[in-house]
Parts: sequence; structure tokens; C-alpha cells
Amino acid sequence: MSGLSVGMFLFLVSVGMSLIFGVTRIVNLAHGSLYMVGAYLMVTLTEILPDRPWAFWLALLLAPLGVALVGGAIEAGLLRLIYHRDPLMQLIVTFGLILVIGTLVLLAWGPDNKSVSRPDALAGSVRVFGQPFPSYYLLVLGLAPVLAVGLWLVFYRTRWGMLIRAATVDREMLGALGVNVAALYTQVFVFGSWLAGLGGALAAPTVAVALGMDGDVLTTAFVVVVIGGLGSFAGSFISALLVGLLQSFGILVFPAVSIVLLFAIMAVVLIVRPWGLLGRPEA
Amino acid sequence: MGPAGTPGGLVPRGAGGLAVLALALALAPLALPPFFLQLLTEIAIVGLFATAFNLLMGFGGMVSFGHAAYFAIGAYTAALLVKRAGVPMLLAVPAAPIAAAVGALVFGFFIVRLSHTYFAMLSLAFAQIVFTVIFKWKGLTGGDDGLLDVWPPALLKSPVAYYYFTLVVVGLGLLALHAVIESPFGYALRSVRENPRRARFIGIDVRRHQLVAFVVSGAFSGLAGALFAFYNGSVFPDFAYFTKSFEPLVVALLGGVQSFWGPLAGAFGFKILEWLVSRQWPVYWPLFLGTIVIVVIVVLPQGFVGLTWGNGWRRRLTGKA
Amino acid sequence: MAAPSDGQGLILETSGLGKRFGGVHAVNGVNLSVPYGEVRAIIGPNGAGKTTLFNLITGDLSHDTGEIHFAGENVNGLPPHLLCRRGMGRTFQITSVFRRLTALENVQTALLAHHRRHFNFLARARRLYRAEALFLLDRVGLHDQAGKPSGMLAHGDQRRLELAIALASEPRLLLLDEPTAGMAPRERHEIMALVGRIAADTGLTVVFTEHDMDVVFAVARRITVLHQGAVLADDAPAAVRANADVQRVYLGQPVAA
Repeated sequence: MSGLSVGMFLFLVSVGMSLIFGVTRIVNLAHGSLYMVGAYLMVTLTEILPDRPWAFWLALLLAPLGVALVGGAIEAGLLRLIYHRDPLMQLIVTFGLILVIGTLVLLAWGPDNKSVSRPDALAGSVRVFGQPFPSYYLLVLGLAPVLAVGLWLVFYRTRWGMLIRAATVDREMLGALGVNVAALYTQVFVFGSWLAGLGGALAAPTVAVALGMDGDVLTTAFVVVVIGGLGSFAGSFISALLVGLLQSFGILVFPAVSIVLLFAIMAVVLIVRPWGLLGRPEA
Repeated sequence: MGPAGTPGGLVPRGAGGLAVLALALALAPLALPPFFLQLLTEIAIVGLFATAFNLLMGFGGMVSFGHAAYFAIGAYTAALLVKRAGVPMLLAVPAAPIAAAVGALVFGFFIVRLSHTYFAMLSLAFAQIVFTVIFKWKGLTGGDDGLLDVWPPALLKSPVAYYYFTLVVVGLGLLALHAVIESPFGYALRSVRENPRRARFIGIDVRRHQLVAFVVSGAFSGLAGALFAFYNGSVFPDFAYFTKSFEPLVVALLGGVQSFWGPLAGAFGFKILEWLVSRQWPVYWPLFLGTIVIVVIVVLPQGFVGLTWGNGWRRRLTGKA
Repeated sequence: MAAPSDGQGLILETSGLGKRFGGVHAVNGVNLSVPYGEVRAIIGPNGAGKTTLFNLITGDLSHDTGEIHFAGENVNGLPPHLLCRRGMGRTFQITSVFRRLTALENVQTALLAHHRRHFNFLARARRLYRAEALFLLDRVGLHDQAGKPSGMLAHGDQRRLELAIALASEPRLLLLDEPTAGMAPRERHEIMALVGRIAADTGLTVVFTEHDMDVVFAVARRITVLHQGAVLADDAPAAVRANADVQRVYLGQPVAA
């Protein structure tokens, strides 16, 4: 059951990454870092807000917005300068961002692990099929369909979503049609960052908030994105669920090798369909 | 310097310069305090790592973002053999590249099926897997605590002695890598880098060639890792962390990827820089490194000298012109 | 390896070869029979499927239907590097050389690979096959440019280099995809005359695509005309010239006899 929650966090990060790649053709290696910032912001927000029932929810609202701001700053201040550059250079720049953001987080919050308490309403556990199940996960599981449907509505029922989907297929054409592609890039990056921040904020009460979160989530997000296909939203969704479930299942059954299990599956996918289950083939 | 992409001949043109350098290195312990010898030792190790990495990048056209995996496999293999199996260091060190080669073979088999961005991402992911395995398998690897007291035998323990030992091993490693690059294998590898389709049509199995290059590169990275293990006296999981993978990439780019000796020069510059920054503000080094790299790429029109994937890459990844 | 003399069997035979991209038949049921030693031209308007046909034959693309036989063997599904080793050589429509290597190194590498020494880690590649490489460069008129990085050669010279690279693999069948594209008319004739000479000397079979009809009629022994992926005509040059269908496709109407 917790696998689905883990899958949820992964989904948020992967969709964001996939989305950014689909439109801007940049693989944002620092996406895990944005997730981490979201978690750390939750730490601070829950600390400084008064100890009231609504504090947690306010924090949950604000933290992703904070990350979205960070994302916007990154896009406007840095990425805009390298869109036309060689993809290798772009990758190195986002790789460099991991170092920069990681150090800044260290400087701001220190090296110790942090934690975020669950809100009182969700602090306990309920019985599901006779097993104790942390109530907090109900929140995540409850949010999952809401978010999935919400995202689907955005991508398939709004004009903006349509522009995004068009951009992932052919951005030159979109520009030729008079759409402000540059603004779209910014919006997409901000939205993707918001998603990553939301993932981090939601995950914060369930994990140790620590440096190194960025690497962990990045690797798993990679696996998700490789299996699902870069640039495919449905792919990320299915793949994230799969990976989340497998990770949890693996932890139960083969604690030490759950990641090897992941690797094995990724390997199989790569052999059979190198561009992911729902991705586009490399020409 | 030979024609583009083919430095050196039977004896490198800069043979005179190299001889002077070798002499200077050999005599260094007479003039330098132990601290600087240790710095030179580290430079040599990073130089080997970066040169091995550049076999793949500069000469093979494949940019790995996860080469720390093989460095770490080499380091841990050597450390484990010495600590758990009582193997003498002089046998453990040659075992490291073999273990790293096996790792490179297994991972590389999947990685070379992809190219460019997917290649980079997958190599990064595999390195993280190595990191996680080392981290979690506490029983074998000591997990987060690492393995301590990984020292060379008394004979080689002093900074001067280990310095010479490193010079010899790195020197041999570089000679071997140079031979590989100047060999028919190396020429074919360069042709694969330049034009894989054309390479197929002169009879080269491109994937197999890339895999072999990957394995050779991984092996020598593992050798560097082993050298570092005994230099450092301990091994830790973050030998495999992605920030370690950044190192050979930046070093090679700094020094120049189209030349064999570039990464070595880059290692020198990089380590000096790291030393200068870290002694003042140790925490800030990754920030410094990341910022410098970003600024250089953004500001310089060509990024670093040498390698770019070019527009053909973009066409291939997006599936259209 | 000496090729059997003219007329003894087919070096290349395709039957019913087809490839679809979505709903479009890029190549549609092509039967091609090329005897040893022939110089065959494949012509057709742009989009007729010439390059796709080449890509199918050389294993760059997988075909949906049909079969390919090379020197009597079924080579369906063989990857390019294996076809090369069996004696199929090719040049590309867009010049395809190893740009940062010198002309000499280009050919040396091709020779190394041909002699299966490309997994040799010990030798010094610079010294290997120099004489043979220079000979080939000389054959295509590039002897003086041997030391130049091939990316810096003039366009026509790059095409010559590509020819030398292809010849280095000692092919029995050479597929030239628009070998004279981008060249001035005189150079076109020169290079195709060269190809013709080499073919005559070595018994090499040549199949090439071309747009310049003068060149085609000067060199080709037989012409296959493709139109919309299918074979429209397959005959001696004079017959093809007189063929009403061909005229219609190229000129819009039959030419008065």
C-alpha cells in the first residue's frame, strides 16, 4: 500500500521532468533537487507556522509554490540562456545545478536530518484488511486520483494543456503559429517545478528529510522515465505506479535487492523497447 | 601534435617535455613537503581516472555521467580483498580493474544500446544503483561507515613511498591507455565516434566496439579507485555518488577532450583549484564547482573546448529534423 | 576475392521487396536482378524510393516484405557490418566520412576494419596499411590531400574519399547513392568514369543512383527506373530512353520518337 504512495511522489517528480523535457528538450537533472527543496521548505514552514491544525495544510500549499518560484528563477536566469546550446552542455549545466542547490540547502538547513510531523488528524493509523496502515498515506492515496484527474484535465481540457501537448510534438510549428513559445517554456518549467515541490512536500512527513534525497529520487525518477518513456505523461503515470509498487514489494520480500529488481526491469525494458513503454523512438 | 584526433606517434612529439616532467616528478620529494606530494598523488589518480573516462568521451564520443561506479567498484574490491580476505595489496590492486571491468561489462551492455541523453541518464542511474548497493549492504561494505584502515603495507605507507608507487602505476596505466588509443582499436573507435553509420559500412560492429571501449574505460577507472582507496586509507559509499562522476567529466573538459594529455592537465588544474577553495571554505567546494562549470558553459560560446554532440543529436532524439 | 565473370549468376537479387512508412509504400514490390560485373543505374524522380531501396538492401532499414539475396545467399535481416564483411560496399547520399580524421586515416581505418584488426590493441595504427591507403587515395586522385582532415576537404574530394573508403573493404558489390551530388558536371563525369574503370579492372559490380542523365547514359549498362516505390522499367539505356512510361513520368508526356 505504501508502494502506491511512493509511486505517487515518483509520479509527481517524473511527470514534471518528462513534461519539461517534452517541451523544452532539456533533461533537468536538478529535478530531484527541486523535490528536496520542497521537502526542506515543508520543514521550515511547519516549524515557523503556529501550532494549529491548519498549519500543515498551509505549509503543504506554500512549499510547492516556493519551489515553483525557485524553478522560475532558474528558468529565467539560466536555462533561457542555454536553450539553443548543445544538449551535452545543457546536461552539464543541470548537473552543475545539482551541486549548487545541494550546497545551498546544506548551508541553509545544516547537515542534520530533519523531519516533518504529520498533522494530528493523520498522525495515527487505521486498520486496512486487519493491518495497521498509516493514516497519512490515506491522504496521499486520496490525493492521487485528484491530482491525476486534475493533470489530465489540464493537459486535455484546457487550451494551455493543448499548447503543451502540441509543443511536445512540434514546437517549431507552434512558434510559427504565433504562440509565445518562450513564455510557454517558462510556464512549463515552473509547473514542472511545482509538481516536484509538491512531491517533496507530500513526501516530507514520510521520510527522513536529508541531503541525498535529491540523488535517491533522481535515480528512481530516471528508472520511471526510462521505463515509461521520456516525454510521455501516461508513461510516467503507469511507470511510476509500477516502480513504486515494485519498490515496496521488493523491500518486503528482498530488502537488500529491491533496487536490483528495479534495475532488472529497467534492463528488460531497454532491451525490448529502448525508448520506454510509451515513449518516442530515437530516430 | 599529429592531425586532429591523433596525438603523438611512436614517441609522442612532446617527448622532450614529457621527459622533463617525468624527471621533475621523480625528483619532487626532494623539494616538496609531504603535503604537496600527497596532492600530486591525488592529481595522478584523478588524472588516470579522467584519462580513462576520456577514452570514452573524447575518443569514443560517449559521455558517461556515472563513471564513479567503476571507480568505486575498484576501490571497494581492493579494500574488501585486503580487509576481508587478507589478500596483499599488491595483488588487490590488479584485481580492482578486473572487477570494475566486469561491472562495466554488465552495465555497459545496456548502456551502449542507447545514445546521448539516454546514455548519460542510464549511466547515471547505474552509478546510483552501485551507490545504493554499497550503502545498503552493510554486512559486506560497512554501509555508511565505510571500510577503514585500508592502508598499504608498511613499505609503501609513507607519503613519499606511496607517491612513487602511484606514479609507477598511473604511468603504466597511461601508457596502456595511450597504446589503446593509438592502436587499430583506437582508430576504429574514433571512426565510430565520427560517423557510426559509416563505421558500420566498413565492417565494424558499432555496439560491440563501444562496449569494449566502455569496459576498458571502466577497468582503468577501477584501477584509479583502488589507488585512491589505499591513498585515502578508507573507502566510502560516496565514491560512487554522482558528484564523484562529475569530476572526470569536468577535469576532461577543462583540460581538453580531443587530446590524450588534456585530462591530465585538467586534473592538475582542478586539484589545485579544489585545494585552494577547500582550505578556505570546505563546504563551498561543490557550490564553487557547480557555479564555475555553469558560468563557463553559459559564457563561452563553445562551452569547453572540444566536444559537442552537435545538431544531428537533436534531430535523432526528437525524431525529426 | 575475384568475382565470377559477367553473366555468371546474380550478385544481387531482390524479390518483392517492400517497405511501408505509415500508409505510404516507400518501396513497393521491387524485383531487382543484378548480374556480376554489371554497372546498373537506378533512376527516378525525387521520392521514387531510391535511397530507401538502398537502405533496405544494405540493412539500414528492415524490409516489410520480400527477400534479398546477395551472392546467392539469403541476407534478410543481416546488419550492415555483416553485409560489408560479405562484400557489399556503399556510399551515402550525404557525404559520410570520418571528419576529424585525415584522409589517410579514413582509409587506413577502413583497411584495418576490413582485415579484421580493429580489436587489435597493441599495434601502432599509424603505420598499418599506409601504402595500401595511399594507393587507394591515389586511385581516386587524393594522394596530395592524404594528410588533410577529411572534414576540410572540398565537397567533391570528400566524395572521392568516400569512394576510397568503400573500396578499401574490397567489395564485390558497390552501392553508390548519388555519388555525384553537388559536383560540377565535369567532375561528375570524371568520377563516374573512374568508377567505371575500377569496375572494369576489378570485376566489381556497381549499382548507383543518379539524377544526371548524361552520366547515367555514359556509364550504365542497364537502367532500372523507379516510380513511387515500384519498378517502372528495367532495360538497356536506349530502351529506357524510348520507353513512353518513363518519358511520361519524367517529362509529363511521351516524347515523339
